[in-house]
Order: sequence, then structure tokens, then C-alpha cells
Amino acid sequence: MSWTIGVDVGGTFTDFHARDGASGREVVFKRPSTPADPGEAILSGLAEMAAAHDVPLAEAARIAHGTTVATNALIQRKGASIAAVATRGFRDLLEIGRQVRPHMYDLNLDKPEPLAAEAMRFEVAERLDWRGEAVLPVTDAEAARAAREIVDSGADAVAICFLFAYRNPAHEQQLANAIKAIAPNLRVSLSSDVQPEFREYERFQTTAINAYLQPLMAGYVERLAAGLDDAVKGAALGVNQSSGGLMSAERTASFPVRTALSGPAAGAVGAAHIALRAGRPNVVTLDMGGTSADVALIEDGRTEIAFQRDVAGFPIRLAMVDIDTVGAGGGSIAWFDRDGLLKVGPISAGAVPGPACYGQGGTEPTVTDANLVLGRLSPTGLLDGAMPLDPVVAEASLKPVAEKVGVSLQEAALGVLAIAVANMTRSVRRMSVERGRDPREFVLMAFGGAGALHAREVAAELGMGEVLVPPSPGIVCAEGLLVSDQKEDFVASLRLPLHADQMSVAANTVTSLATRAAEWFDAENLPDATRTMELALDLRYVGQNFELIVPVASAPSLSGTDMPDTTALANAFFAAHDRAYGFHDPGAAIEIVNFRMTARGRLYDAEDMPEPGKAQPMPEPTGHRPVWFDGKDSMETPIYRRETLAPGMTFTGPAIIDQLDATTPVHPGDIVDVRPDGSMLIALKGA
Amino acid sequence: MAELDAIGLEILTNALKSINDESFVALMKASYSTNIKERHDHSTAIMNADGDLIAQADMSLPIHVASMSGLMRCVIEKYGDDIHAGDLFVANDPHTAGGTHLPDVNFAAPVFVDGLLVGFVCNIAHHADIGGMAAGSMSGGMTEIFQEGLRIPVTRIGTKDEINQEILDIFLLNARAPTERRGDYYAQIAAAKLGVRRMQELGARYGAKTMRAGFRQLLDRSAARIADALKQVPDGTYNFRDMMDDDGVETFDIVFEVTIVAKGGKLSFDFAGSSPQVPGNVNMTLNATQAAVIYAIKALLDPEAPNTQAVIDCAPITAPEATVCNAVFPAPVAGRAHTCQRVIDVVMGALAPALPDRVPAAPNGANTMAVFSGIDPRNGEAYVYLETIGGGAGGRPTKPGKDGVQTGITNTSNLPVEAIEMEYPLMVLEYGLVPNSGGAGKHPGGRGIRRVVKPVDHACTFNGVGERFRHAPWGLQGGGDGGKGRFGFIGANGDETPLPGKTGDRLVPDGSMALVESPGAGGWGKAE
Repeated sequence: MSWTIGVDVGGTFTDFHARDGASGREVVFKRPSTPADPGEAILSGLAEMAAAHDVPLAEAARIAHGTTVATNALIQRKGASIAAVATRGFRDLLEIGRQVRPHMYDLNLDKPEPLAAEAMRFEVAERLDWRGEAVLPVTDAEAARAAREIVDSGADAVAICFLFAYRNPAHEQQLANAIKAIAPNLRVSLSSDVQPEFREYERFQTTAINAYLQPLMAGYVERLAAGLDDAVKGAALGVNQSSGGLMSAERTASFPVRTALSGPAAGAVGAAHIALRAGRPNVVTLDMGGTSADVALIEDGRTEIAFQRDVAGFPIRLAMVDIDTVGAGGGSIAWFDRDGLLKVGPISAGAVPGPACYGQGGTEPTVTDANLVLGRLSPTGLLDGAMPLDPVVAEASLKPVAEKVGVSLQEAALGVLAIAVANMTRSVRRMSVERGRDPREFVLMAFGGAGALHAREVAAELGMGEVLVPPSPGIVCAEGLLVSDQKEDFVASLRLPLHADQMSVAANTVTSLATRAAEWFDAENLPDATRTMELALDLRYVGQNFELIVPVASAPSLSGTDMPDTTALANAFFAAHDRAYGFHDPGAAIEIVNFRMTARGRLYDAEDMPEPGKAQPMPEPTGHRPVWFDGKDSMETPIYRRETLAPGMTFTGPAIIDQLDATTPVHPGDIVDVRPDGSMLIALKGA
Repeated sequence: MAELDAIGLEILTNALKSINDESFVALMKASYSTNIKERHDHSTAIMNADGDLIAQADMSLPIHVASMSGLMRCVIEKYGDDIHAGDLFVANDPHTAGGTHLPDVNFAAPVFVDGLLVGFVCNIAHHADIGGMAAGSMSGGMTEIFQEGLRIPVTRIGTKDEINQEILDIFLLNARAPTERRGDYYAQIAAAKLGVRRMQELGARYGAKTMRAGFRQLLDRSAARIADALKQVPDGTYNFRDMMDDDGVETFDIVFEVTIVAKGGKLSFDFAGSSPQVPGNVNMTLNATQAAVIYAIKALLDPEAPNTQAVIDCAPITAPEATVCNAVFPAPVAGRAHTCQRVIDVVMGALAPALPDRVPAAPNGANTMAVFSGIDPRNGEAYVYLETIGGGAGGRPTKPGKDGVQTGITNTSNLPVEAIEMEYPLMVLEYGLVPNSGGAGKHPGGRGIRRVVKPVDHACTFNGVGERFRHAPWGLQGGGDGGKGRFGFIGANGDETPLPGKTGDRLVPDGSMALVESPGAGGWGKAE
């Protein structure tokens, strides 16, 4: 039972990364996805990988899974019919939201329709005050009346969110029990379970999304688990959460909203792992695929976490890896705006028809067409020739652009790339400069099918000196799944002045969170040696309406006695405030808003760091082709297969490095160092 | 000098956006006040050497852009060639310095590249207090601008990268909460300096001449784009009238009338027929009127058009002097937000026959504001809680109007009920949509928002500022009118005491609750 398998399901491909903990042997495998039932590609892919690469499935202890089932259901509005239940007087909360519209000027662009239609919104006579004390208790008769009304509505799932339920779940639980009494199989999501934090709209919306996804996700994981039980008997299934970290199939069925960013989060975790192994713990990631590019910041090998993000137009308030997404991918279409300026994206040719050069009927010029025209992509095509590309069609698609701008075909193609690069550069600036980080102190890590094609230009724009290309840029997400921890987040929303006489209350709160974390460790059967508890506080100045998350303590086990004193907490808050806002006020009163406990069980035993390779000569190139690095002339450029590059090799561009699922152009004068782990570290000329 | 092509200009535009966005975030981070930090009541922009708007931050507000553009005109008029690297200019006055109301303070810094003036970086922030008769500098009931706060003419507050501390001290001495004000002013100054630095980095790459020419090309292209958009309005003369309820001092109909002439693809707007300027603070200077008109034009004809001077100046806008749409000294103007909404309403209403498949029915047309204040019995400290409340959006030719949403010139968010009750001694008993407040129609209007708030164990003062309490939001193409706004006190026995649309400070009677209902919106098309 020594194998672990990471499976990441994307829109186009399902990726596998398997590793034998005993021998260290690793296998990567890729197959087309099956969007109608994503589990089908997982099960058949496992069998195909086992056959092709001699992986003993019976030896697999764990399957770690990144999924887009939740995201797609939200985007396509294919979830359940839900009932949304609120405190009396507040049934329209989901409709009003934050009362803002998504676009200042566009009169026809609306926020998405609420997940619960008007007839499916219900109220209960109950009220808690801000301390969580019952001002109006729920009578048994009222609970029974409401339960009957909700069940009779015919909803497939129910979301309950009462005011201040994060302070006291009793009323929500009372109604849930009343529903259970007459409809034991109806799925019910409570705001006090899903996201027990203040801000009623975001909590209600997050709970409603959870309910909306529950029936679908429960069915999916049950089918998948049953299928795996046949194929990989005894292997535990873990599903990746948006915050990075796995949860069990049962919890996935209960809390599907936590998987809304499952895939991208796996990418960030994989990138952090690779960054550490390549000896570059501070990286900005550029994960560029067919339709978009994801940018994340990793400092000291850790990903940044954000607590709110819009998915499909809905705010979700849960811990999520902090990722900025920009509509720049290989399929992004170049077009002229009404003022005649050339734009690239966010419209994408998608997988069908795809870029013009795919020859599937697309005629509009895309980023991929531009790369092909410049010789940066091989005319033999993608996936080692399995997907041929047609340079003639690519040129035809770009010709109107060149004519309209009045430049050569190559200059037009370079222009398309430069605009896509400008869009990605803005995204990297948002994630670094605007968050108090200097990008020049970071390395740009490029992955996804198209990241390595453009990272060099993005890095140069920002004054970054190095670009890192992982050994297998196309399956970083699957690799992230392989190394993920089992993880659970606990939160207590309690507003408390940061004052010595409140510290006993704070300590008790920490102790109760730690107790819940310990119970979770036991329930998940995680051995003591693998356990870590991480405590963080949301702190703010009194009167502010936004919080800063401040890490406080981390140890195999924590309790109230691990709370630092108020001076230490204040200093940690000042440092965070300095970084986020450029100043702090040493005299102003501070308060605690949330206590956050993360429990991690390490599932993956870190491999030894790879030995540095000895200097060795370069292999012979597999060929040469003309490549345009600027608009004037092409350069006859040597082409290497990535598999033939070994640790210890160094070389100077120009060069093209081809591999199954990525292409890396090395610009003239840039120097490549193949790292011990197989990553390519590219030092930019003149940097 | 290389002329930039459609590719080079797009990349230049992207760089300008980045500079504006970074300055916007820097201002937000360094500021002290919640109004800037959380409600983002600030904007940043880049102008060319003539003071013409070239680009703005994505989150810049339309009324702020008008104000920054107004300041630039005055800076250039006053200082002409006497503008040097390291200068910093400041102003806020609506009557002499291009502003729209006093709390919005504008800064502008020139950018020199290769010794040539290539442009200016500008920013503006709404200060929570600028002095004057009442805290917040926005209260109704004032009748001349002197009561509204400190008037700052166009002033050179910095030279050679040094701030004139003596001038800043005058500002601080004239504001409540000077520590917070100092923080916000320094945030604006720092954002301007950052913008200059980034523009100079850009200049090092492009050179002054390419940059200046690039700005001109962007303006030319923007002008062609908006001119093209205006051609969508068929030739004709379009007229519309609407009213405001009162000016906060007295209740009387305040008339807004616009005549739009469309001819050969060009538009002109004339507000003749509108009421003379009023004693209360709902007057607008002409550039605020212009901001509202441009909002309506963009919303109807080209919502994605980047804001530039060419867009701002795309059509002549006239209004007789000393009227509500072109107020002159000493008119008070602090409450102009309501008025902007009504100007948008009349422009939309006038264009409805011209663009029947685009113009929605009237939205809630207000900037409904509710202020609660008193002493919090839990800690003995004074509190003030202010909120602006959305309402209905008009029924549209293609679909119904949205319920409970900000419309027109404003798009600020609400405060969570759980935050209100933690922060203030208040209990919110109802927060929902007003039944039947959406105008009937094939595509009904959106509904207004109803809030019922109960003071907890203390004497609480309520101050409501509403509009469309007397004149309902109109329906279109046979659609019905939307519901009007309402304020009131609800007694313990359920009896309701109605209040006027601009209540002034009123003590909530013991045991009573305050009721706020924002207006709904008109419906579109005859109900089937």
C-alpha cells in the first residue's frame, strides 16, 4: 500500500500523478476528460495508467482528487432547487445582497438571479441579539409550522441562515431537527456549520451555494467512491478544498461549497512544493491554460489565503487560496475594439473550435496562432504531434490584423503576444505590488500548457530576474494533490477587545477550538506524528470594517495557554497592518473578530531533496527551426526535447524546449540552469 | 519619434491603467478614514499636458472624474507656463475651482519627461469632514456655501517635492477629527507622488514626444468612438421634465427640464426651463450636471467606452446661469447626489422615444440616506451611523428592473445587519423589499428597500434624506409608476407617524421604531 495517486480533472484533460512512497518511482499520465460524468475519465484513466506504466493499483493507499464539479454546476446553474430560510423580516437577504450592481454603466448586466426563487424563501419567527442571546425564542409550534412549509415546497435541499447564528446555533439546529422529523432524507445546510462568521449576507449566500451543490456533489462522490472501491480497493479518497488540503468523501458531500476552487488551489499547492524543491521559495505563479491565466503569490513556500472571492458572480466567504484570474490563455482571441485598439481576450476560442491553427473551423486569430506564426510552437503540433497545428491557417487568421495595423505578419503576432503579456503583467502587479510585495524579489514560475511560452516577457516587464519552469508544467495540479495534507478549518466568530482582562475568554475559545481539532484528528485516524494545529486571529482596529488575518501559533497540539500576550498580538497586528496599508497606529484600540484554527494531517512524506547534478554537456538538438524573437528577423534556433535535459546542464538561448504538454522558448542570451529536481531556471539576459 | 500603432497604443493604455489602479490602491491603503478605505469614495486619473483626461482607475466614480477635470482647467488657466516639476496643486471649491462639493478634495501633480510637461496625475477623495456648520459637512438646511465648509481655491500646495505645511495646517485647523484628515491628506499626497514616479518610468521607456503624441492619438480615437456611438440617436428634438420634491429647506416642486437636439449624428443638451437655484443644498454646478449627462449617454450608447476628455466633451451642455443645473456663488451644493440622479432621469426620459429599445423606466432616482446618532449605553460613547440605501431599478425593454439595488451615479454597498447591531445600539427588525413598489408592466420595475430600526435602550436621533417622496418614478411605454419613498416612526402599538422626505434631526419617540422605505421603480410596457 505504498502508492499515492493525484487526479486532477480539468475541462479538457484529466491528469494523473502517481508516486510509490517505497521506491520513489513517479508516473504521470494524461487522458481526455469526460465532462458528462467526470468520474468516468478517472476510473478508465486509472486502468489505462496501470496498464501503460505498470502501476499496481492494488498497492494504492490514497487517491487525492481535484474537481470542477462544483464550479461547473454553479457556472451552468445546474444545482438543486433549494429553499432558503431566514429570520423573520429578512427573507429578501439573498436578493438584496450588498445592494451593488456589477457594472457602473451597463444597464443590462445584472448580478446572477438568487439561487432560491421568491416562492422558495421562507421566514421563521425567531431572533438572537448580537451576543447570541435569544430575544425571540423559536417555539416548537413555529418550528413545526416552518418545517412543514419548507418540506411542502418540494425543495431538494435547504439552506438555513438566522441572524447571529454564528454566536449560537441553537435556533438553526432546532429548525433542522424539525425538518428531519418529517423529511429525514432532505439535505439541510446550516450557516452555523458551513461558515460560522459574522456578515449575514455572505454567510447566507455561502450556505445557499452549499445547499445548491449538495445533492449533485453527494451523488458524484458516492458514485466515484463506489467505482474506486471496485478499481482500487481500500484506497482512501480525498477531495481537494479551495484552501488547499484534502477532505474526506463524506465531508465533501456535506460541504461541497469548499470545492469551488479545488483545481486552482491544487495548482498553487503543487507550485509551492516545486518551488521549495527547486530552491526558490518565493515565487509568483503564472498558470496559463486555454482560456485564462491564474496568478498566485507564494512566500517562503506558502500560498496566500484569501477569505472571500466571487465564483460565477456569487460571493463565497470561505478560506481559499488567493488567486487572481485574468482572461489570457492560448485560445484568447485578438479583436479590434470600437476605438480601433487591438485587444486580446477575454473572449476565447475555447476547445471547440479552438484556435484557427487547430483546423477545426476557427478563423479568428488567437494567442496560439501567434505563437505558431512566430515559430515558438512546433508545426508538428501539440502533445507530440497528436494534435497537429496548421501554420497556413494561423497566418491567414492573423493577416487581417497585420493589414489593419499596417505591420508585417510577425509584428502583428508579436503584438498579440505583447498585449496578452500586458494583461498578465497587470495581474502579477495586482498580486504583488498592490499587496506590498516587490516582484523583483520573486521568481516567476510558469506552468499550465501555455505559461512557459509567455513567462519570459512577463518577468522582463516587471524586472524579475528569473523564470522557473517545472519538470512537468502540464500536471502541476496533480502533483499538488499528491503532496496535499488532510485539512480542516475551524472558526469561532467572537468580537473581543484586545485587552488583558479579556484574555481568559480568548484562551477558553482557543481551547475549545483545539478540542474540536483534536476530535477531528481522531475521527480521521491521523497519527500523532502527522498532526499540526495552526492558530490565527482576525484582528482590526475598533471601528474598522475589515480584518487582517494574523498567524499566532503553530504546533502539533495547541491550547489556550499558547495564546501570546496582548503586546505580542498587537505587535503582530502592527506588522500586518504595515504590510497591507503602509502604516499602523500604535495608540488605537484593537479588537479580535475571529479565531481560526487549521488542523493539518500530513499525508505525504517529503522526499529527500534531490542531489545536485554534475555539470554535463548538452545533448544534440533534435533539429532547428526559424523562430522570431523580435519582429525583424527570425533566428535559426536549436530544438531540444525536455526529456534529454538532465540536472547540471546549462545552456544559453536561443533555444526551444519541447515536451509533451508544454513548450519553452529560451530567448537569445538567457541562460538556462537545469536544477537538481529537473526544473529549468532561466536567468534573463541583463537582469 | 515613432508613432504608436493600434498595438502600441493598447499597451500604453494598459500601462496607464496600471498606474491609475496602483495609485488608487495606494491612496486607499494609506488613508485613515473608513469612507476611503472601505467605501472607496476616491478616484485617480491621468491627464495630458493640456489637462485633458486620458485614463482613469477602473473604480473611479463619474462625479469625481468631472471634478478632477474641472480642477485641471482651473490649474492651467491660473498657472499656465508657471508649472514646474515637483509642484502639487489642490482645490475643492465648486464655484471657483471646478469642484462639485466641498468634501471632495482634488490633488494634481505635473509630470515632466525629458524636461517637457507630458501630463498630470490627479486624485480626489471624499473627506468625512471639511468643516462648516455641521459634522460631516453634508447636512441639509444650509443656505450658502460658506456654511458647508472650507473653500479651497486652486492652490499650489507643493513646490520642488516639498509640501507647504502652513497651507496644510489651515486645512487641518478647519476640520473636525484633524488626525484622520491629516492621514487622508498624506495618503493623497503619497498617491500623487507615486503616480508621478510611475509616469516618469513610463516616460523613460517612451520618451516625452511619443508619450504626448500617444495621448493625443488616444483622445482622437476615443473621440471617434464616442462620435460613432452618438450616431445611434435618430435626428430629432427630445424634451422631458421631471421634479424634485424639495430642497431640504422648504417643500416645493423643483423643475428639471432638458431639451436634446440630435442632428446629423451630433447631440446637444440644454437645461433651459429648469428651476432657478434653490436656497437648500441640492444645487449643482455645471460640471456635475455634465457628469450626470455623460453617465446617461455612456449607459445608453457605449457602456464600455473608456472615460476620456473626448467622452466628457462629446456634446455641448448648456443651462442658464443661476439655475439648479448651473448654480453660481453662493449656492450650497453638498447634497448634489440626489440632483445628479434626477438629471439622469430627465436625460433618459427625453431619449426614451429616440431609443425605445434601450431606455428603461425611471429608477428609484434617489440617494436615500438614513443617519442614526446618540450615545451608546453600552460604553457611554457618541456614535453616528450613516447609510445610503438602494432602491428599485427601472423595468427594461428586455427584462424587469432589479429589486433593491444602487442605480445611476452611485454604487455604494450596505453595512451588514450583524455589523450594525454589534457596532451601534440598534436592532434591525426588518430588511426586505417593499411589497408592490415596483411599477406594473410587461417588465415590472424593481422594488424599493424597507428597513425598520429600533433604538436599544437610549435616546436616538434619526435624520433621513430622501427623494421621490412626492413625485413617483415614472413608467415607460405604458408601464406603471413605481412606489414612492417613505420615512416614519412606528409606535409600540403599530401606529405609523409619517415623516417628510428630508426629516432633519428628530428624536425617535420612546418605544418607537424608525421606518425607511426607499422608492421602487417604474415598469416598462403595458402589463399583459
